[in-house]
Parts: sequence; structure tokens; C-alpha cells
Amino acid sequence: MKFVIRRIGFFVVTLWAAVTFNFMLPRLMPGNPALAMMAQYKGQVNGAALKALEIAFGINTHESLVSSYFQYLGNIAHARFGDSIVFDMRSVSYEVFQALPWTLGLVGVTTAIAFALGTLIGLVAGWRRGSKLDSILPPVFVVTSAFPYFWVGLLFVWLLAYKLKWFPESGGYSINDQVGLNWHFIGDVLSHSLLPALTLVVTAIGGWILTMRNTVITVLAEDYVRMGRAKGLKPWTVMWGYAGRNAILPNLTGFAMSLGFVVSGAILVEYVFNYPGVGYMLLNAVKSEDYALMEALFLLITVAVLLAILVSDILTAVLDPRTRELR
Amino acid sequence: MKQRSKLVALLTAGLVVPGVLGGVGFQAASASAKSAPDSHVIANASSGPALTLDNEAGETWPCGFNPFNEGVVTDGLTFGEVYEELVFVDNLESGKTTPWLASAYAWSSNTKTLTFTIRAGVKWSDGVPFTANDVIFTFDLLKKDPALDLNSVWSVLSSVSLKGTNQVVFQFKTAATPYFYYIADETPIVPEHIWSKISDPATYLDAAPIGTGPYTVGKCTPQNITYTANPLYWQPGLPKYKTVYYPSFLSNPPANEDLANGTAQWGSQFIPNIKGYYLSKSPNNHDWFPPIANVSIFFNLKNPLLANLAVRQAMAYAINRPLVSSIGEYGYEPPANQTDIVTPTFSSWVNQGLASKYGYTYNPSKAKSVLEKAGFTENGGVMQKDGQKLSFSIIDVGGNTDWVNDLSIIQQELKAVGIQITPENLTGSTFDSKLYTGEYQLGYNAEFGGPSPYYELREILYSANSAPIGQTASTNWERYSNPATDALINEYATTTNPGTQRKITDELEAVMLSQVPVIPVVEEVDWYQYNTAQTGGWATPSNPYAQPGIYIAPDVGVMLDHLYPKN
Repeated sequence: MKFVIRRIGFFVVTLWAAVTFNFMLPRLMPGNPALAMMAQYKGQVNGAALKALEIAFGINTHESLVSSYFQYLGNIAHARFGDSIVFDMRSVSYEVFQALPWTLGLVGVTTAIAFALGTLIGLVAGWRRGSKLDSILPPVFVVTSAFPYFWVGLLFVWLLAYKLKWFPESGGYSINDQVGLNWHFIGDVLSHSLLPALTLVVTAIGGWILTMRNTVITVLAEDYVRMGRAKGLKPWTVMWGYAGRNAILPNLTGFAMSLGFVVSGAILVEYVFNYPGVGYMLLNAVKSEDYALMEALFLLITVAVLLAILVSDILTAVLDPRTRELR
Repeated sequence: MKQRSKLVALLTAGLVVPGVLGGVGFQAASASAKSAPDSHVIANASSGPALTLDNEAGETWPCGFNPFNEGVVTDGLTFGEVYEELVFVDNLESGKTTPWLASAYAWSSNTKTLTFTIRAGVKWSDGVPFTANDVIFTFDLLKKDPALDLNSVWSVLSSVSLKGTNQVVFQFKTAATPYFYYIADETPIVPEHIWSKISDPATYLDAAPIGTGPYTVGKCTPQNITYTANPLYWQPGLPKYKTVYYPSFLSNPPANEDLANGTAQWGSQFIPNIKGYYLSKSPNNHDWFPPIANVSIFFNLKNPLLANLAVRQAMAYAINRPLVSSIGEYGYEPPANQTDIVTPTFSSWVNQGLASKYGYTYNPSKAKSVLEKAGFTENGGVMQKDGQKLSFSIIDVGGNTDWVNDLSIIQQELKAVGIQITPENLTGSTFDSKLYTGEYQLGYNAEFGGPSPYYELREILYSANSAPIGQTASTNWERYSNPATDALINEYATTTNPGTQRKITDELEAVMLSQVPVIPVVEEVDWYQYNTAQTGGWATPSNPYAQPGIYIAPDVGVMLDHLYPKN
């Protein structure tokens, strides 16, 4: 229990640091949102508009840093992140929550699939070292994961969508879909997500396989595994309960970390597939110096990563009693 | 949006493809079929054919249509389609006017009073009649909430009032005829019965806009806006297209592919290698890039070295504008000229005699001789005088990859005559803050322009658009100030006589040529592709009835009124 409390304490302190950094960042940068907006509209907006925009943004209202800091904390607590320049001044929270399900659905599910499949293949390959499976699958997937995923994405789009026309090649759904919970729309969303999902799985799975396989091989040389075998336990039990349970620990931490990063999206995959998730949103926010949007996304990523680490720490503690000990 | 971002996308595309598929392969690959099945569905989605617009905005649609929201307006989503202007002013025909929500307008003889006669029989799309009070309400709104007054019309207006039942009278503090453009063409008129109930119009979303325009918003999702013809539209029989789709694109390649395969008919895209990728796909595919404003080198005239006319003249002679255009801008943006008059858009305004007298064509030896005559000597490849080297930094926006290209060419050309410049590629807001406050030596940027050359000349030369170093100058970033020039600019504002306007423009051209306060290098264009297979009525070089960029408001509405399905 002490362990959990200590971890949560650490979580809170890190979160506070991240929030404060988020607050300071745009205030330390030169320029202001009105100028960033003018820069974005270059050549399309009368120079006189700067005055109007500065009024709209409340620039030159002299407010102390301390009071705006507390105001900021209050806003964060209510998930108010201000208005987005990229999205025509629509509220950041609205836009982020519009995009988040797409990313969670696509990247989240593929990360989980890649992890589960990769770990399983790694376990079996490590267990039956030198078998046919071991000599084919890990090398193949290690090679595919060496490809940058946007490159695989481009290849798939070109081959499967453009040449063979098996899949739609861009977007999250067809532009004239009735968005909502109807079968047509759900089917359309699924068919649009298959190609990006395939890209992500193919490129991510190799890492899981390799770590798992190698850890399994190390673990198999441990005395307790030999002991298990010597006791005459079923190979199945030894594989799962002795080798698997111990070998999965590094993968589990890795998985928790990558779950945290799911919210940052797979920027280039979303770019290649014109997918309406938060990854591409982040890219655009940075490009347009949209600090309100950037802050919200950074905070989201920070919180997600911290939560994931917290959960993985606790999970590791459950699986491996040694990590629970206080020294 | 963001014409610039179209060129930016090229850079991104370049990064994404490390030579494996090659540039062309990339377009073919990552773009592609909203293919046959989708376009089929689109055609059947409603009665009659639909028109599909194609303009990468780098965002999914926020589904707000507030016409005072600059972001929404510069994506061409609302002003033109839904909301309308009093009088349409065509920038491509030297400001030719077409009565719109006002059936007529007249200036008083002292050009301090402007009277609009409001068109009868116009209805808002909810059935409520449109009246002069809506116009007055709209301008009062801009006065009450300066955040909405994007063109600062209240800097010259003193009052807007009703006369009789159907006339609106604008009283000006000073004569300001050029503000006609901002008042009549650039201000969307909103319905009083809706907007009077809105507490904060600047942040109002306006998800279901009520306007007088040819379209209403039918359905909006983050990926697509469906515009539906307004059955109450005041122009009988218009619009001809009952349905218009405006899908959102996050990146250029899929948007370009939709144009190439015919899914979309009207494009405002930057397409690399447009001949091979788009024009060659069908004899019905066309493009046109009408220039509208200059991209110029801005001097900081408060810098003692740059205040020296010889230095500025030498630079004007040393830059090979056609080369910058063909290499830096891939030929899409034509070379500019020192009169600051955008050609061919405003060709008739150029005083050829004057231009050829100064003859700022590429002439490096002349550049050198100008500097030598002014007492500069070469030392180690750099010209200098009294120990001061002609070595400057030039700021630009690093994300505008075409500008970065331009500057590296200009850098080489200036080096050849002994002037050293070092490009500083900045982020947009850093760049703007340096340029606006005058904390730079040289800067590379575009002005906004308007329906006649006067607008850009005024932006550049009028001292009221300037400010002391450290304070924000709205458009006169080089901080040129000359009472005689100011007097000319003020005089233009008092006249509606074309002859006088032309005479003054000539004199302003002379200022540009003799003083070289900035160096126009290339001309910004409207991005425009169109397909004539199923659609007629396009704006063309021989019939430039409106600016053809989808993101240009309110021209987008005028375009939509002209377009019709063949058969």
C-alpha cells in the first residue's frame, strides 16, 4: 500500500510540474496569438485586422502572471483550454474530444493487437527455439518493423488502395456518410481503418516479438524453470506460469509506455491516410503555433503517459513481488 | 486557407518520401481514389449533380460559420455562400462593382457621405425580410465590438444611419473613398433578428447560419460540409448547383488526387508538377493563377545603411526576378516589377514610360556602378564605405519553403554585386513580431492588396500605417514616411474620378521607382484549377468576373452563382 501511495505522490508532483511548464511555455515565446494568427493568414487578411485580433485575444490586458497562473489552473481543472487557432477559434476541448476517439480507436487497438500478438509469437518462438516458427516469424517481423511506418503506409496505399482498390485510401469515413451509430457508418469506419491499422501492426509487432523471445530464452535458463521441468510439470504450465509470467515484465512496461503515447497518435500514419486523429492535429498545432491546442495535447499526452506508468508500476508489483520491497 | 501552406505541404511531402517512391509516386500513392465508388455515391446523394470543392485547409471542419471569424472566412466557408456583401467589387477587373444586397450606391460630392439603396424583395433564409436595419445593425455591431472590425472601417466612419425606409447613409470623418471596398465588399451583412440576441458575436459559433446567400448549410461533419441551395435566394433561378460539397483535407496529396481523378471540379490547390499530374489527365482540366499582390523585400529604412538610396537601388538592379520566379516559385508566381503594380492583373495602370525610364531590370553591372558612384568600394568580395560593410540579415518565415528558396537565389545574386545577406528563417509569429515592430534589417513578406494598385501602394507608403521602431506598424513595415507621398494618398481618398486616380497612382509609382522603399520580387497568386467536363461558368483570364480562389470571400459566392452543370 505504501508503495502505491508513493507512486501516486510521484504522479501528482510530475503532473504539477508538467502543467506549470505548459503554462510558462507560450509566455516565454516571442510573439502572441494574434501575431500567430496573422502569420497563418498571410496575404489574405488586411493588416488592420491585427488590432481587431489583439482585442479578440485580450492581448495587452495587464494581468499579473500569478493571477493568470491560478486562473489557468482553474481552467485546466474544468478542461477549458481556450480556443484553437487551427480550428477557427472553436474551443480546444471540443476539437480534441472530436479527434481523440479516432486515435484511441485506431492506435489504441492496433497497439494492443501488436502487443498481444507479438508477445504470444515471441513466447512460442522463444519456447520452441530453433523451430520452424522461430526461424521464420521473428526475422520477418523484425525486418518489417525496420521499415518506417509511413513508408509501409505509402506502399499499402499505393498497392492495396490505389492499384487493387481493395480499401478506401484516405479519411476516417466517406465524406457523405451519415455520421452516427448506424451499421453503414460503422462498416465504413472499419473499412477506412483497416489499412492504417495493418500498417501500424506490421511495423510495431517486431519489437514485441524480439523482446519477448529474447527474455523467454534468458528465463528458460533460470534454475526455477529447470526446477519446474524437473518436477514434471506440464510444458504448458512451465511455458505460461514460469517462463511467460517472468519474461513478460519488460514487455509489459513497454506496453504501458506505448499505451501512454497512443494519445499522441501516429502522426505520419494519420498524415498519409488523412486520418482525423490527434496526431495530425498536433503536427498542425505546432506548424501554426497554436499554443492553446499544443498545451492541451501535451497535457493529454503527459497525463496519459504518467497514468500508464503508474498502472504498469502497480501491475509489475503485482506480478513481481521483489519490486514491492522498500529499501 | 493559407495559400502559403500549399507550398509548405510540398516540403512536408518531400520529407515523407525519402526518395523511395519519388515525388510523383508519392502523389499517386498517398492520394488516390475517393475513387469511383465514392464519386458515384456523391452524384446520387441528392437530386441533380453536385459540385465538389477542393481546398486543403489542414484541418477538419469545426462546423462553425461565423462570418466575423477570420479563420472561417479565409477558408471560404461562409462569407459568399451564406452571408453576402452590399456591393461586389472585383479585384481582377480594377474594382468593377456589381450591385448585390444594395441595388445602388452614391457618393456625395465631397465624398464624405456614402448612400446605399437597399435591394427590395430579399429574404433571409428563415423567411424574414432583409431590410436596411440589418445593414445598420451590422455596422453598429462592428462599432460596439472592435474585435469584429477586421478592416477598421470605424477608423474613418462617424455614423451609419437610416434614410427613408430603404437607404443607409454612411458618414465619414474624413474623405475615404478607398474604404468603399471594405464597407461594401468586405463586410458580411448579418440578420438583426438573430444576431441581436447573441451576447458575444466574436466567439459565436453560428452552427446553423441564417444568411441571404445562395446556399444554406445542409449538413456539416468534420470531414465534409454539404451546402444546399437556398430556395428563398433573391437571384431567380440561382444557384444552378443545388448541392455543393466541401470536404476537409489535412494534407495536400489526397486533395490533389481528388482533382486529378475528377472527384472534385473546383480546386484551390498547390499541385507540384501540375502539367503532368493534373493538366495532362484530361483536356477538360485547366488552371489559372491570377496574381493579386506582391511579395517584396522590405528594408528597415531606420537602418542608416539601408536609408542610403544607392544601396536599395543597387539591390533592385541585382535581383533577377524572372529567375526567382521560375526556380524559387516553380513558375507559379510571376516576377514582380519595381512599380509595385501587379501585372497582368492591373497592367493598364502601369506607366510604361516611367517604368522604362528607371528600367529596373536585372543588371548586375549597373548595380555595382551605382554603389561605386555612391562611394562604396569592394573589399574581400563585400562592398563597404567608411568601414561599414553591406552585410545584412533578412528575416522570413521558415515554413514558407518557396520563400526560403527565393531568398537563397537572391542571396547568390546579391553576393555577385558585393552585398551579403543572411536569411533568418523564423516561425510565423516571431517573424511577424519582428517585422511589425521594426526589429529587423531586411524582411521578405507579402502585402494584402485590393481592387486597384492604390491599395497596396497605400499599405506600403502611407505613414499612418507605420509606427516608431518598437511599436506595431500595420503594413508600412519599412517605415517609409514622406509628407508629399502622404498628401497624394490622402488626395486619392477624396476622389472617385478615374482620371485623377490614375494620375495619383502614376505619382505613387514614381515614388516606388525613385525611392525604392521596398523591392517587389514576385507576385502572390490565387490558386485555381477547374474542370470543364460537367461544369460551365468558370472565371477565366478572358472573363475574370471574380477572384477564383475558393478561400477568397465573398468572391466564392459570386463564383458559385456563375457555375452551372452542363446538361
